[in-house]
Amino acid sequence: MIRLLLRVLGDEYARPMRRTVALMTVTAIAEGLSYALLVPVLRALFGDTPDDAWPWLIAFGAAVAAYAVLRYISDLSGMRVGTTMLRGMYHRLGDHLARLPIGWYNAGRVGDVSVMASRGLLAALGVAAHLLAPFISALVTPLTIVVVMFVFNWQLGLAALLAAPIVAAIQIRTARSTAATDAERHERDNEATGRVIEYLQAQPVLRAGGRTAERFQLLDDSLRDIERTSRRQTLSALPGAVGLALTAQAVFTGLLVLGTYLALGGNIGVAEVLTILVLAARAVDPLLSLSDIGGKLRGARSELARLESVLRTEPLPEAHEPIQPDRHDVEFESVTFQHGDRTVVDDVSLIVPEGQRIAVVGPSGAGKSTMLQLLARFYDVDSGAVRVGGVDVRDINSEVLMSRIAFVFQDVYLFDGTIEENVRLGRPDADQSEVRAAATAARLDEVIERLPGGWTTNVGEGGALLSGGERQRVSIARALLKNAPIVLLDEVTSALDPVNEAAVHEGIEHLMKGRTVVMVAHRLRTVQRAARIVFLDNGRIVEQGTHDELLGRGGRYADFWEVSAAGSGR
Amino acid sequence: MTTVDLATRGPSTRSHDADAESGQNMARLLRPFASRFAVVVILQVVGAVAGLAPLLAVVELGRTLLTPGPVDHRHVWFVVIAGAVGLFVRLLFTAASSGIGHIVDGQVQLTFRRALAAQLGRVPIGWFSRRRTGELAKVVGEDVSAVHPFIAHAPGELVSAFVVPLVSLIYLLSINWQLTLITLIPVLTALLLVPLLMLPARLREQEEYDAAMGNIASSVVEFVQGISVVKAFGGSERAHRRFLTAADAFVSIFSRWVRGMSAVAAGMQLALSPPFVLLVVLLGGTSMITGGGLAPADLLPFLLLGLGLTAPVAALGHGFDDMQAARRAVGRIKDVLDVRSLPEPERPVAPKGHRVELRDVRFGYDDGHEVLRGVDLVLEPGTVTAIVGPSGSGKSTLVQLLPRFFDPTHGSVVLGGADLRQISSRELYRMVSFVFQDVRLLRASIADNIALAVPQAEHEDVVRAARLANIHDRILELPHGYETVIGEDAELSGGEAQRISIARALLADAPILVLDEATAFADPQTEQAVREALATLGGDRTILVIAHRLETVADADTVVVLDNGSIVERGKPTELLARGGAFAEFWQSHRSAIADEIETQDGALQGDEHR
Repeated sequence: MIRLLLRVLGDEYARPMRRTVALMTVTAIAEGLSYALLVPVLRALFGDTPDDAWPWLIAFGAAVAAYAVLRYISDLSGMRVGTTMLRGMYHRLGDHLARLPIGWYNAGRVGDVSVMASRGLLAALGVAAHLLAPFISALVTPLTIVVVMFVFNWQLGLAALLAAPIVAAIQIRTARSTAATDAERHERDNEATGRVIEYLQAQPVLRAGGRTAERFQLLDDSLRDIERTSRRQTLSALPGAVGLALTAQAVFTGLLVLGTYLALGGNIGVAEVLTILVLAARAVDPLLSLSDIGGKLRGARSELARLESVLRTEPLPEAHEPIQPDRHDVEFESVTFQHGDRTVVDDVSLIVPEGQRIAVVGPSGAGKSTMLQLLARFYDVDSGAVRVGGVDVRDINSEVLMSRIAFVFQDVYLFDGTIEENVRLGRPDADQSEVRAAATAARLDEVIERLPGGWTTNVGEGGALLSGGERQRVSIARALLKNAPIVLLDEVTSALDPVNEAAVHEGIEHLMKGRTVVMVAHRLRTVQRAARIVFLDNGRIVEQGTHDELLGRGGRYADFWEVSAAGSGR
Repeated sequence: MTTVDLATRGPSTRSHDADAESGQNMARLLRPFASRFAVVVILQVVGAVAGLAPLLAVVELGRTLLTPGPVDHRHVWFVVIAGAVGLFVRLLFTAASSGIGHIVDGQVQLTFRRALAAQLGRVPIGWFSRRRTGELAKVVGEDVSAVHPFIAHAPGELVSAFVVPLVSLIYLLSINWQLTLITLIPVLTALLLVPLLMLPARLREQEEYDAAMGNIASSVVEFVQGISVVKAFGGSERAHRRFLTAADAFVSIFSRWVRGMSAVAAGMQLALSPPFVLLVVLLGGTSMITGGGLAPADLLPFLLLGLGLTAPVAALGHGFDDMQAARRAVGRIKDVLDVRSLPEPERPVAPKGHRVELRDVRFGYDDGHEVLRGVDLVLEPGTVTAIVGPSGSGKSTLVQLLPRFFDPTHGSVVLGGADLRQISSRELYRMVSFVFQDVRLLRASIADNIALAVPQAEHEDVVRAARLANIHDRILELPHGYETVIGEDAELSGGEAQRISIARALLADAPILVLDEATAFADPQTEQAVREALATLGGDRTILVIAHRLETVADADTVVVLDNGSIVERGKPTELLARGGAFAEFWQSHRSAIADEIETQDGALQGDEHR
């Protein structure tokens, strides 16, 4: 557990962490040792000269004071280490997330990561910080007490020591068996969450079919699975908890019997036996709390393991000796890219000369957007190479590469802030007139005029306060302001209403002027005028040429065009 | 059974006295478990009290052995055996109690989840649009799980925290009341420190803490969701910085909070720690023994049981966070259970025909801001009505009133002569079909997905709908054809998913079809599928479409121009064009955009004709 924690934390926290653990161990030993003084105290009290107890009692008082001081220091140290670790972890996670390839982020990850980076992190480190001390003391104090017993009576000490290996064995076994059911539970929970989401999203249809909760079998099954797993989880944890209690109590009973036997035989003083039994009672309680603490630590452990797996995900490697491309033509050379076990882009070769426009067309799922993403190095190719200005994108510093590319997505994400801030993201050092010019060219000015706060209107999280078309205009203004030599357009106009579409088209025209453009589109009118059209299907280029050439060829593109033209009634 | 209970309750009574109602909701869900809870508690009490036996055995042993004179061996062994039996009973009963407790917990959670699912199947669909699906899924999943400590641990912990100390206290008082009071000193010390944890400063820190945590969460959501923009625009510094700033702020608030608590908390823990309690007992005991006020053997019970007296105070702190979290989770569960479903009519009226009428409909999501301001509109059977208008004009809201996602705040929506509010929801959903945005298919077979609204559909009908939706061939290419499980055997693209949803709507064969074009057009095939479907469906159907393509508008029987929540123009497309009003302007702006495009395209083609 501590090893996992240290691994997640990294080396810099290892030393303070070890120091804290050492301090906590010393405190627990001090507690156990202080009980040794109970023996002379009780011997005196149960004997004929109770007054002799006083000096020992004062000594015990001093020991308790020492224990108090140690405990305070170790608590404080634990807290201090805990908060520095927390800060360190937030930074480490934040830095790491920023470096992870975009391909790593999918819809499911957003939820996972936001939980992990907020409450999850706190839970993992918080539990480690809060439970470590009780855990150490629950282990070390009883052991120390057993040692003390040994000193006073070896037979009783030995009997108590028998418990140690059994307790250890039970702890390990429980950890193993619960880990399996915990994992299963986690899986069931995820499964059920997926079903609930489905159920919610399909509400209108389900209601039309008269399928309410109890008749939507898929959901009910997964809810029932959770219950079944939780039952199994209980049953698998029970032997551990019972075993631990059984061991602790068997040892106590053993001590009771043995002590009674020895005392009756006159082999040991009554005071000693009684003291040892009092000490044994002291050792049992922390042992029993072990199973409880252990369970919680395991919870934190799985949280930590999730953190670790994220931190272990490799970001895309940076070039050691980056090369600056001095041209802006684009080339795909035998590019193959797989996502999971599906080949998304399959041996694609393509050259886009500087300043030319190329359109990528094809059915949805053909790998069109992936090609743009490979160009912007959101992922690395599995084989082949993507080049900008003749330089492999993997050899270009990522900041430099990004500065050469303006990417306009279908779904625009705006940051919670003003419109101006969101436009300025394109080039933070742009002056006022440049920002205004970009806005005008993107026809964002008319949107801004309409908004109550003008340029300073807050767009809300994700840009929720603007409509899709308005958001798209912001993103085009942003791209215009960026003024990058390569422009990537990903289905920019496919989900817009006519008014916005007209405006966005105008903006895009400005954006494309004189630049190298790769656009993905399915509204075929927008691709007609590209210098070349590439038809992609199943990750492969099946046709390429100008619009007229392809129409003349009567192949896939021509079919596509037919469908589209028939649809638009032309 | 519980779901049926809930369903048969008159929804109209729901509005009153929501708090008492929601309390009742929870209580009703829990009632069937009362006897099982009782068993858990009784087992726990027996087990916990039996756990005192071995300690008492040691006490009795001490008393016997310390008594001068010959020792009664049989008595001694009897005591030892009694102690061992007590331990065994404790083991048995507490294990049983905890095991049963956890199992009951699982059952309670299942009941809660089912009740929530049933409730979510009843709330107005419009209610979903203002909530994130993920959050609701969290209520059903995590929040119900967070109730765990309440159900599974609370009985055991409460018993060991209060019953055992109480029994011990009575026993100790019977032996020596003065020393009992002394033994209570650590507990009282700890209790005196409790108010220090509730100082206004502490509470304020707690609030700051919550706010800072929320801030982290929202900054990380922004960071992660916007990651592609962040990367594409080199803005990673910015979003990243916001996250780190939020994290730093949280950590400093957290450490301030911890520091504020730490001295007091350390004091409490020290006061309750075994060495300190033993020290207090021994100091009191020694002075009483040396003073002759106490038999030495009587000190033993205090040493053994005295420590247990601290349990109630220790329990106060223990699991406090869990309990807080559980309480918040219960609050969220209640919130969902308390949502009023749209009232179902007591005597449903069957609509005659499928003519739809909106009569002076007004609607606003919030008070004071109306999205629809008095809309009158008639949709005749056998016609296509196209709605156009700028974004924010209320188009989506208007079409959502038809399937009764919301009820209008004023005016009424009338279907076949009956107000929607008088039509049973089942009937309504059977009559109104809609193809909207964000089609998510279920992780079930393709056939099930298509037949979702018509579970009893014949296979041929499913296939026919798939053919009409232009997806049949694609389905046959999948590994198991119509039995392919989406998401497991195969993934479908967005456009394919759209076509499945069109097939779904076609199969449902509802006489009224509501469609939003913008999101239904993932690719040309889908676009074509929608068009063909519209053409095939035609006939006697009432179709309402949010039109985004001029072609759709041109083919419509009636065009309605919506602006700012009111209808500004309506009529046949050709008439409207001739009138030269808002619609004509709209038409022109769109045409010119396309004309521009074609013009520049010609230029471009001449300009760079190479290859």
